[in-house]
Amino acid sequence: MGAVEPLDVPVAPGAVLREPAHRVSRRAVLMWTLQALVVLALLLAGQVVWWLVDDAPSRTPHWVVGAVWLVAGAAYAVAMPQWRYRVHRWEATPRAIYTQSGWLWQERRIAPLGRVQTVDLERGPVAQLLGLAAVTITTASAAGPVTIHGLDLPVAHELVDALTAAAVAETGDAT
Amino acid sequence: MTEDAEGWRRLDARMLLVHPLETLIRFLPALLALVVFRAGSEDNDRWELYAVPLIVAFGVLRWVTTRYRIADGQIELRRGLFTKQTTTARLDKVRTIDLTARVYHRVLGLAKVEISTAGGQHDRLVLDSLGVDAGRRLRAELLHRVDPAVTGLPAPTGAPVAVDDVPDDAPPPVDDEVLVRLDPSWIRYAPLTVTGLASAAAIVGFASQGFSRFSQERSVFRDGASFVSRLAWWVDVLLLLGVVSLLAVGAYVLTFWGFRLTRNRLGTLHTRRGLLTNRETSIDAARVRGVRLDEPLGLRLAGASRLKVVTSGLLREQGGSDWLCPPAPAGVVTPLALRIRPDEAAVSGPLTPHGPAARRRRLTRAVVPALLVAALLVVARLLWDWHGSLLVLVPLLLVGAVALGRDRYRALGHAVTPDHLVTRHGSLDRQRVVLDRDGIIGWKVEQSFFQRRVGVATLVATTAAGAQHYDVVDLPVEMAYAVLAQVSPDLVAEFA
Repeated sequence: MGAVEPLDVPVAPGAVLREPAHRVSRRAVLMWTLQALVVLALLLAGQVVWWLVDDAPSRTPHWVVGAVWLVAGAAYAVAMPQWRYRVHRWEATPRAIYTQSGWLWQERRIAPLGRVQTVDLERGPVAQLLGLAAVTITTASAAGPVTIHGLDLPVAHELVDALTAAAVAETGDAT
Repeated sequence: MTEDAEGWRRLDARMLLVHPLETLIRFLPALLALVVFRAGSEDNDRWELYAVPLIVAFGVLRWVTTRYRIADGQIELRRGLFTKQTTTARLDKVRTIDLTARVYHRVLGLAKVEISTAGGQHDRLVLDSLGVDAGRRLRAELLHRVDPAVTGLPAPTGAPVAVDDVPDDAPPPVDDEVLVRLDPSWIRYAPLTVTGLASAAAIVGFASQGFSRFSQERSVFRDGASFVSRLAWWVDVLLLLGVVSLLAVGAYVLTFWGFRLTRNRLGTLHTRRGLLTNRETSIDAARVRGVRLDEPLGLRLAGASRLKVVTSGLLREQGGSDWLCPPAPAGVVTPLALRIRPDEAAVSGPLTPHGPAARRRRLTRAVVPALLVAALLVVARLLWDWHGSLLVLVPLLLVGAVALGRDRYRALGHAVTPDHLVTRHGSLDRQRVVLDRDGIIGWKVEQSFFQRRVGVATLVATTAAGAQHYDVVDLPVEMAYAVLAQVSPDLVAEFA
């Protein structure tokens, strides 16, 4: 053992891994919008409470604060879901899973299926309403769970079956 | 060792003495408060004494109901009277074994045995307490059975190792190689680490809290404080440094006294340390995924470093049982790391720097907060008329920030060797992680908004060991994928 291995992959501009093949469901945009609206509703509730509790004669601060979060919130509710939809992608092969997610902070995750411990299918209230599901793939590393949000329910079921079959085929300690 | 027909064993009966003592220590603050309260009242009813038989009974109950055995390739632990709880772990999942003996354990010849198994933080079997010899024998049974070469049988179904074959001696057997032994002169590094300073602060906090309970002694503190405030400022600073150093040295001695790292012929690493509380940790070699060389600023300036192990089955930061070497001269630590991971390029070789974008980001991140603080100081001077001498801090802050940013960039680097992925970062807390390539069980490529703008990414290798993930920070995107492709070519080929 000794010297540092020379990079046998040419480091050229653009020598990055291609994007995962599949987009998530188009309805995911709606799901993220609804989730954003829930946050906005909570902010509105806070604003109303403040309006009722405050005894000061001037209502100007209320209008200023309200306008600020309304503009920021509206921008968030409109831009975030579209941005997310453009970023979120996934791909699974019999041997590995590859995802891309986020919006301001983006990340790609890639994990071999031989190291998978559990595969979970989750459906929150909004996701149930829209016929969507999230699939979470957990590995032996606490830092490693891979989640794909906003999949069509049939696609999610198919993916879970494929992943479970692949994980059974691969044996080993998973650590 | 007493065993019943089915092989069940009990805790050592001497734990009956330890248990009430531990309960007492746990409730010591409450008892102190009670005593203080008593002093001011005429009530003579000692009702807290009613608790004593309860505590003793509870200990007896625990002794009666707790049993463990090794059978069918498993270790089983049974507890509880009404809700019987059985914890089982397969022997080939046993990762590390800790023997901890506090002062009162040592007086009675006892040790608490903690067995960590694969599968995360909750899978721990705790036996509190066994006799030291029984604990060591159990450890030998568990760790040696894991290796079929010793029993000559497949691991999960092996017959029990004859218990009497295992010597219950204190010194290591002759075939164990001693990798490192604490040299008392290393204690000089104690005040140079943040851990040392933190433990000093903890001791001060604890002590002042304890003392403040005795109100009549507060005048002593007041006199002391006024005495100190009359001294010149540099005497105060010296005094503070002296006290903190002394406390840090005390903490170092308590933690690391008699530190010894040995390796047996199966490769299992054993550490032993502690002045009052004696602690022994055994780490299965098959679970070790690499080493971490820590070079915090203070140690680095003194030409020292320390070594930790990256392994699965240890609780994160769990009482620091991942130490392989306490703060020691680099001339000791680097060769030690090489004996555990014999890959010179990975342990001490040069690293690939991450380029100008990473350098700019390090400088920005150091300088911007310093500029903010400097601006605040100037504003405070102008608006609230703060003392002018505080403005001296402004150039100091800026120079310090630039130096910090540059040093952080100097630390940044990575390397890929045939067996390891190496990453290094940090200035005040610089660490170099040598991670086994086959210990990596997944990857992340993370990019914030600003990272995307300048074309850098943080490559994260996830693993089941140690911190669970190790990051290569701010390397050019192409380089990140090149490293990924080089370490896991099969994985990348799936998505080519």
